[in-house]
Amino acid sequence: MGVAQVPVAEGKSLQQTVEILTRKLELLGAEKQGTFCVDCETYHTAASTISSQGQTGKLMYVMHNSEYPLSCFALFENGPCLIADANFDILMVKLKGFFQNAKANKIESRGTRYQYCDFLVKVGTVTMGPSARGISVEVEYCPCVIANDCWNLLMEFMQSFMGNHTPGIPSVFGTKHDSIYSPADTMVQYMELFNKIRKQQQVPVAGIR
Amino acid sequence: AEGKRQGCCRPPSRPSPQGLVKFQPSLWPWDSVRNNLRSALTEMCVLYDVLSIVKDKKFMTLDPVVQDPLPPKQNPQFLQLISKKKSLAGAAQILLKGAERLSKSVAENQENKRQRDFNSELLRLRQHWKLRKVGDKILGDLSYRSAGSLFLHHGTFEVIKNTDIDLDKKIPEDYCPLDVQIPSDLEGSAYIKVSIQKQAPDIGDLGTVNLFKRPMPKSKPGSPHWQTKLETAQNVLLCKEIFAQLSREAVQIKSQIPHIVVKNQIISQPFPGLQLSISLCHSSNDKKSQKSASEKQNPEDHLYVLEHNLHQLIRECHKQTLSSTVMPHPASAPFGHKRMRLAGPQTFDKNDISSLQSNEGLLEKIIKQAKHIFLRRRTARTIDSLASRIEDPQIQAHWSNINDVYESSVKVLITSQGYEQICKSIQLQLNIGVEQIRVVHRDGRVITLSHQEQELQDFLLSQMSQHQVHAVQQLAKVMGWHVLSFSNHVGLGPVESIGNASAITVASPNGDYAISVRNGPESGSKVMVQFPRSQCKDLPKGDVLQDNKWNHLRGPFKEVQWNKMEGRNFVYKMELLMAALTPC
Repeated sequence: MGVAQVPVAEGKSLQQTVEILTRKLELLGAEKQGTFCVDCETYHTAASTISSQGQTGKLMYVMHNSEYPLSCFALFENGPCLIADANFDILMVKLKGFFQNAKANKIESRGTRYQYCDFLVKVGTVTMGPSARGISVEVEYCPCVIANDCWNLLMEFMQSFMGNHTPGIPSVFGTKHDSIYSPADTMVQYMELFNKIRKQQQVPVAGIR
Repeated sequence: AEGKRQGCCRPPSRPSPQGLVKFQPSLWPWDSVRNNLRSALTEMCVLYDVLSIVKDKKFMTLDPVVQDPLPPKQNPQFLQLISKKKSLAGAAQILLKGAERLSKSVAENQENKRQRDFNSELLRLRQHWKLRKVGDKILGDLSYRSAGSLFLHHGTFEVIKNTDIDLDKKIPEDYCPLDVQIPSDLEGSAYIKVSIQKQAPDIGDLGTVNLFKRPMPKSKPGSPHWQTKLETAQNVLLCKEIFAQLSREAVQIKSQIPHIVVKNQIISQPFPGLQLSISLCHSSNDKKSQKSASEKQNPEDHLYVLEHNLHQLIRECHKQTLSSTVMPHPASAPFGHKRMRLAGPQTFDKNDISSLQSNEGLLEKIIKQAKHIFLRRRTARTIDSLASRIEDPQIQAHWSNINDVYESSVKVLITSQGYEQICKSIQLQLNIGVEQIRVVHRDGRVITLSHQEQELQDFLLSQMSQHQVHAVQQLAKVMGWHVLSFSNHVGLGPVESIGNASAITVASPNGDYAISVRNGPESGSKVMVQFPRSQCKDLPKGDVLQDNKWNHLRGPFKEVQWNKMEGRNFVYKMELLMAALTPC
């Protein structure tokens, strides 16, 4: 439900910070449940289609989440989110004329999945190409489908292991009101997180929410 | 005339000019003709002369020669007879001819009709069954393959034309020009027998016990109609498929107590000391099987519900295999089940997907159902036996009519006769599952009991004992008595083997008397009455309590001989006791 970035602790490497986080979780009593992976590929709208309308090319992100192994998400920034099955990747190859893959921009978050009672926590390292760029933490409260109702609970839980790096309410929640939280909302948050990390190119240490 | 004939016989020769020139009288081919003509002419001339003389009637007359005449009477009759005979013969011939033609046409008609009957029967057959023509044979398909079955049996039957029946004999009523030949292994009738038995029988007679138990319904001497024939054959095929599937699963599935497959029987142990046997009973029509059927007539313990459910489950199985390849299908989507196809766009997570893929086998499902059925039956029996054994308090069970295959519920009320309105404290909802029984108490407590019969019985007994104390509490309210103390689980006194004893103490409206009741599931009820000190004469008057005010102290308890009290049940007795202790 909530995806946040945790800054690397001072004087520690990124890997060490992840270890500190996971150790805290394990001390809480969370159980390790395998790994997870969220990846994101960027597509430019092809030059031929932009020039005719005289606008800058929009970026499209095609994402996968190991939590939903058969699905594929295609998102525009601030735009609609399309959920398709895994064949969508093949379709994108066919649409080369309209969307071009920016291979260098591929970014992904890999890490461990933890279950703590009703909470699902995923701590991952965000890597872009060969370099690790930051740490992502996703927290989900499984019994609740309306995010706003359990945000305070989530916050309290996050404080127990993230300390003062607990994020504020994600922007996605603002527009949701009382509607049901969907997997697409998670993907939007990941996309925003990845974009932020991409922008802070050279300074991997300065991750403030 | 002879010469003419001779001339005629010879090939007509052309009069050649060469022949006329070289005239040689002796060699001339017309020589004999000429001679004959000449002699004929001579005779004609003579005849002419004679005739002309006769004509004058002067020198010569012609007179008829008298032959010996026929007897004049006989002659016309004889002629008549002959002519009659002749005409009759003619008429007979005509009639015979006509009859022959008629019978021919009738036979032809019948033949045609039979042919037509066969065709119409064939048409009817085709409306219900799949047929195809192979060579000069018509083959049909009675397998469930088109419905999604993956059973390997070909299930082919042959259509036979049954028209060569003797025309002279009487045609039997159930005669049908069309007959079917079904494979020999599908003949007879079959059914799946599912039964739950208490104890395992000897290994020796495994697999043969239930072989031919159900006697065949007496079939009529004639052969049955093709439709019934095909339907029974198809049923045999389906039963075989079910059994094959079950035995395959029984071998594959690893369970704590392995399933046994012997001959035509699968044996499994759903609960300890209990065995579920599923057997394929296939009886052909031969005398041997019918004989053994009459020999063995054990009490019927066939669970028809489970047999029916097995059929339903295999149909479901068929449907699943069929729907996986169902058309129309999106061109871009992967092959597979529709729900699987939608799993991507509907963002199914791992749990959802694994629940989609969970493929519980036929055997597992049927064992679960059998467990549930057994548990339900035993619960009913336990409640009923308690209800008949214990009269006070009364126990009522309300079974719900509609159940799931794996779950059913019963509402148990414990009441006292005549006091149903005021003693409604114990209402239990028993949800009977596959392995366990969940008891939902009226106040929302949930207690989980295992499949052991004793647990339920003990629980109900303790509830009944609590009921009595609850009833006293309710009664006290109605009678205006005050409840001094109440406890469902008393920690004092003798230890009960089942549950705990419960106790209540109530005081009369003016506070003079008090009744204390202790009721245990095993020890039964014990009722004590406390009298005011003033009424007790046998109380030793101590030197310390001389003053009159001490008379207001409570006195000692005395036990009531409860079985000597009047009244038909506990609550009624209690009411009488309270009434007796309440001053008017």
